[in-house]
Amino acid sequence: MTSHIAAVGLRKSYRKGKIEVPVLQGVEIAAERGELVAVVGASGSGKSTMLHLLGLLDQPDAGEVTLDGRRIDDRPDRERDRMRNRTFGFIFQFYHLLPELSAVENVMMPHLIREGLFSYMRKRKTIRRDAHEMLERVGLGHRATHQPSEMSGGEIQRAAIARALVGRPEVLLADEPTGNLDAATGQGVLDLLRDLNRERSLTTILVTHDQQIAHQADRVVRLAEGRIEEWAPALV
Amino acid sequence: MYKYLLCWRYLRTRYIALASIVSVMLGVATMIVVNSVMAGFAGKMRDRLHGVLADLIVESRSYEGFWNYEEVMARVKEVGGDDVVAMAPTMETPGMLRINRGGQAAESRLVQIIGVRPEDRAKVGDFAEYLFDQEGNRIPPSLEVTDAIRARSPAGRELKELESQPPDPFLESTREWLETRREEQVPIHGAFLGYALATYHPGDGRDDIFLAEMGSKIALAFPMQAKIPQTGADDFAVVGYFKSGMSEYDSTHVYVPLEELQRARNLIRPSDGKGSVNQVQIKVREGVDLDKLADKLQLAMEKLSPMFFHVWTWEEKQGPLLAAVAIEQSILNILLFLIIAVAGFGILAIFSMIVVEKTRDIGIMKALGATTGGVRNIFLGYGLLLGIVGSGVGMVGGLLFVRYINEIEKGLSLLLHHKVFDDSIYYFDQIPTLVETHTVVAIVIGALVIAVGASVWPARRAAKMHPVRALRFE
Repeated sequence: MTSHIAAVGLRKSYRKGKIEVPVLQGVEIAAERGELVAVVGASGSGKSTMLHLLGLLDQPDAGEVTLDGRRIDDRPDRERDRMRNRTFGFIFQFYHLLPELSAVENVMMPHLIREGLFSYMRKRKTIRRDAHEMLERVGLGHRATHQPSEMSGGEIQRAAIARALVGRPEVLLADEPTGNLDAATGQGVLDLLRDLNRERSLTTILVTHDQQIAHQADRVVRLAEGRIEEWAPALV
Repeated sequence: MYKYLLCWRYLRTRYIALASIVSVMLGVATMIVVNSVMAGFAGKMRDRLHGVLADLIVESRSYEGFWNYEEVMARVKEVGGDDVVAMAPTMETPGMLRINRGGQAAESRLVQIIGVRPEDRAKVGDFAEYLFDQEGNRIPPSLEVTDAIRARSPAGRELKELESQPPDPFLESTREWLETRREEQVPIHGAFLGYALATYHPGDGRDDIFLAEMGSKIALAFPMQAKIPQTGADDFAVVGYFKSGMSEYDSTHVYVPLEELQRARNLIRPSDGKGSVNQVQIKVREGVDLDKLADKLQLAMEKLSPMFFHVWTWEEKQGPLLAAVAIEQSILNILLFLIIAVAGFGILAIFSMIVVEKTRDIGIMKALGATTGGVRNIFLGYGLLLGIVGSGVGMVGGLLFVRYINEIEKGLSLLLHHKVFDDSIYYFDQIPTLVETHTVVAIVIGALVIAVGASVWPARRAAKMHPVRALRFE
């Protein structure tokens, strides 16, 4: 059986002035459909970089990313844009809601990007309803019309999760989703992710440096010195 | 869809960007006001120039003119056909005017003496509309010295006073004596005197002072036809004033009867008693291409007498003046457009700042699948929207300013205790304006192009931003 999403021999290095800094040196990672994989590692170990490569936000220097066994990292820009919109959902450590838009508008964003003016006008009721339902699901139904500046960190992160999932992606990529939250709120967010992962059999790759969090995943891998190693059996 | 939503939200939330379009707004408003006022002035000026000059003028190159003007007019009629509505032979010559003001005081001026048949002249232009008496009433185009004119002379006024007295022999002889004095005081031929020649303008809202009242005598000196240059002179009675509103004309033109001028200048041919003219003024049907007809007439005149005639259109006759106005307007437009261009750099600077500020948002949008073109269009659309708001408000403001310009002028004059628009200079009681739709449209489109043009560079920078670097931006 082929993995849902997998990376083979990923290499990536950054230039700092004249020095080339290798970040990933042949990363191998795979996740089955519906699996929640946690990636741990020290800060600066390249966890985010790996996630960006998996989510087609960046291109690897070598190696490949496959989805259902088909290579996706070398597709043309337009198709990569489309896959980011439909196949992947992103959650970031710093939430990143657009400050000019209300919570529900932020959650609508993937749909707004997907649809043109006229198709949006046709589907606007469904789109709005989906967004409201998603906000209800993450427990923010009462905050729909609030601006991000009026919401707490936990609420914003839950809105960001709603945004990541409203477009019904197949793969959720979460970059330290609890990194900026206190322990209790972080646990709430994680429970939510766990539930959604089960409900929708959503393949989830979660990057974290918090071992408490990591231990709740199906599987934990460790990124160190630019390579992935299986780390410990999941406790769940 | 997100592009429209974000453009709209940015417009409503970024007040700093609205500040940058105030200069677009002011530029557009200023250009509309300046162009409307200049077009208004130019239009009024052209009307007046055209009113004084006929549509076409056949002019001889010599001041002595030509005797065969009937033949010339017949030729014009033949070539122009129904396009020619009216013609008037005219003799124009430079000369000197002397106004006696009693005792030693006298005013001498260089003038343009124009011998006309007033009724004919009135048919070829707006001549008749510019004739006024001393009280400012319009008068018919006639140079006849009537009894009413004579009654305005000093002797005439004394005679009028005597009328109410009971008759007695002494009074009768006084009256006879005054009647002869009156004939002496009032020359037999009349003249329309340019208003600015005849009056002195004290300003400050006081009435104009007449140097040459109606019925008074003026003396004209002019070149006579002779082997060696000689000066001729003649007296005329002021029977009215010529006030076209163009100071150039009103301060130089003196209209006298054509036949009298011909006689005085020794231009009457002894063989057949015909006088010469040096111009034939022609009025043509409306809508006729003046330049084309002028060319045709020029050709016909060359056949009649080579190298002797020149056919002018009224615009050619006033070429330098009209060209100067056109140049003024285009230079002013270039300078004013630079204001909007400066505003463009303001937009560029503020947009660049906004793009930096929005770096993470751009990263997010790209992570959510926004395309490069989509991100670019957000900022181009934002620039266009700002341009529309700026030029729209500017346009409305400019048009309102033009609409109420006279009220604004009055308010400013009150505020500054100083007349902003001195109507005595132009003889306009109001500031003339003319809003030309094509000018307004061109200004607005120009402003939009600048607003969009200024956002191209920031928009491209935003679009080219690498999503990962944008997300990591702090």
